[in-house]
Amino acid sequence: MAQITNIIRLSFRDYSHEWRMSGCFILALSSVLAPMMILFGLKFGIVTTMIHQLVENPANREIRPIGSGRYDDAWIDQYRNRGDVEFIIPKTRALAATIQLKSTSANRIVSTELLATAAGDPLLTGLTSVPKDYSQVVLSQSAAKKLKVSTGDEIDASLARQFQGRRERVHLPLEVIDIADEVVTSRNVAFVNLELLIASEQFKDGRAVPKLGWEGNSDKLEERFYPSFRLYARSIYDVENLVNDLEKAGARIKANVGEIKTVQSIDENLSVIFWIIACVGALGFSFSLGASLWANVDRKRKELSVLRLIGFKSGRIVMFPVLQSCYTAVLGWLLAVLVYLAFEYLINFFLAPQLNLDRALCFLLAEHFLWALGMTIVIAIFAAILGGMRAARIEPSDGLREI
Amino acid sequence: MTVIYSLRNVVKERLIDGVGFRLLVPKIEIRAQENIAVVGHSGCGKSTLLDMLALILRPDQCAEWSVHPVDGDNHDIAKLWQRDQQSKLSQIRKQHIGYVLQSGGLLPYLTVRENIDLPRKLLNLPEDDSINSISKVLGIERQLDKLPGLLSAGERQRASFARALSHRPTILIADEPTAALDPITAQKIMAVVMEVIKGLKITLITASHDWAHVYKMELRTLRQEAEAVEDGKVYQSRFSD
Repeated sequence: MAQITNIIRLSFRDYSHEWRMSGCFILALSSVLAPMMILFGLKFGIVTTMIHQLVENPANREIRPIGSGRYDDAWIDQYRNRGDVEFIIPKTRALAATIQLKSTSANRIVSTELLATAAGDPLLTGLTSVPKDYSQVVLSQSAAKKLKVSTGDEIDASLARQFQGRRERVHLPLEVIDIADEVVTSRNVAFVNLELLIASEQFKDGRAVPKLGWEGNSDKLEERFYPSFRLYARSIYDVENLVNDLEKAGARIKANVGEIKTVQSIDENLSVIFWIIACVGALGFSFSLGASLWANVDRKRKELSVLRLIGFKSGRIVMFPVLQSCYTAVLGWLLAVLVYLAFEYLINFFLAPQLNLDRALCFLLAEHFLWALGMTIVIAIFAAILGGMRAARIEPSDGLREI
Repeated sequence: MTVIYSLRNVVKERLIDGVGFRLLVPKIEIRAQENIAVVGHSGCGKSTLLDMLALILRPDQCAEWSVHPVDGDNHDIAKLWQRDQQSKLSQIRKQHIGYVLQSGGLLPYLTVRENIDLPRKLLNLPEDDSINSISKVLGIERQLDKLPGLLSAGERQRASFARALSHRPTILIADEPTAALDPITAQKIMAVVMEVIKGLKITLITASHDWAHVYKMELRTLRQEAEAVEDGKVYQSRFSD
């Protein structure tokens, strides 16, 4: 133990004594590492921004059925329980999912599309509440503007049908509990509880809805099938897999796979470019550091021989260049981080606004810095083993005569 | 007196500039507190013999080689080399041997005090006043906090002696320690060193090419004979009692 603590102390003293030489090693390392960090920061920043833009818009994660299908509750539940599905909710027939809305503040009737919603709906992210029963609604911006209503207002919803040769209309008071963000949709949409959507379809099909007091045929459906659904993958990376599974299950669907693939392809290509540069840089640095340490051991053979003469074991002498290499790795990394941070600031301050990006163009996470440190130390140790082996082979009697 | 070193038929061969060199030790016995001089001209193998005695150079052949640095502590060096027990050899070296090189051999990145303290630190010896006292005796007490590069040649040699003696070894090996100094300084340093080793009961083995110097210090000399053997292809140097 005394030998280990002493060799750490001695290697550091020698390292700091030869500060010019050590400084050159540190500069050499940081001049390889800093550009790699900037490159990776740019790659990470650009790709993350693109991915973020894709993720921010739920439409990119939406998988839309084409045409009409037959999906029962069990089918919906099966997908709801999948880890790669963030949200799924059934849709009824488009014609049955239309409702007329009227408010006291606007003298017009707005024909609005009914969409079922529930907690966790990506379209309504950020809203404090979702419609929980027949009496609540979240309106799209467009519908709210046309109706001139805001949160807390009450509106009148009405449905019409032809039943047994006569035209019937039912009315239902709805409370506007929130208004969806403008980016969600430009259409007139009323987000309602699934029960209300189903009730609307039942009414239009001529059936009774006892809970709402709407009369009609009282025959009960054996099994309910939905013609469509709204499905959102958990991430853009889950879309392709879900599309494949749904297609295998016979569903005809559409998704933004192309755009997602483009971003993934950019990510992969940039990663390949980055890793090629990183590998060439790391290889060059390893050889450069290895050769320097080899030469350094040769230069220090006299002093290393003295250490052997005093009583240090050859195994401990190996640690001498390895430790010095670690000092270079840590200090070189530190300098590279400082250089990187300076460039990150400059890039984000001057370049990002020109590209109209609201996010940073170049940035790294804390774990990236730690990864860089770990990799640098591993490479440095690997390179130093060469010098260390040479140090261990020094015959003290040969080195001593040179003193 | 106890026999500290006992060597018989030890051989070390080397190829120097294409010419064979063979160091032969038919028999050497060195007793405790003896002061020995290995005398001979340059290239006769003095340093090679000292390196072997310091256990840093492996002999090529060895019939017998034992070291008894202190009573009851007997080491079969021949066997240790044979088994390549470097750890054990380095343990004996750091504990019992102090080595002074011709040009000091101080580590340039440590202060004189740290250089002197290094063998003690390796042995985990407790901190005491021994560094100050040995430095005072050797006249370098005011240089302790300087780096070796700032010392004169004489001061560096004194510091080198202080380092070799700081852990109170049984054996002090000095390879032409005053060769690079002027005669007056050399004489002064050796006089002080002789006093110190006498006081500490240390065995001195030193190499020198200066017979006058050896006679003046009243050292026992090892006989050295040289001859060309194997049709002049090998230069053979013999050291014996």
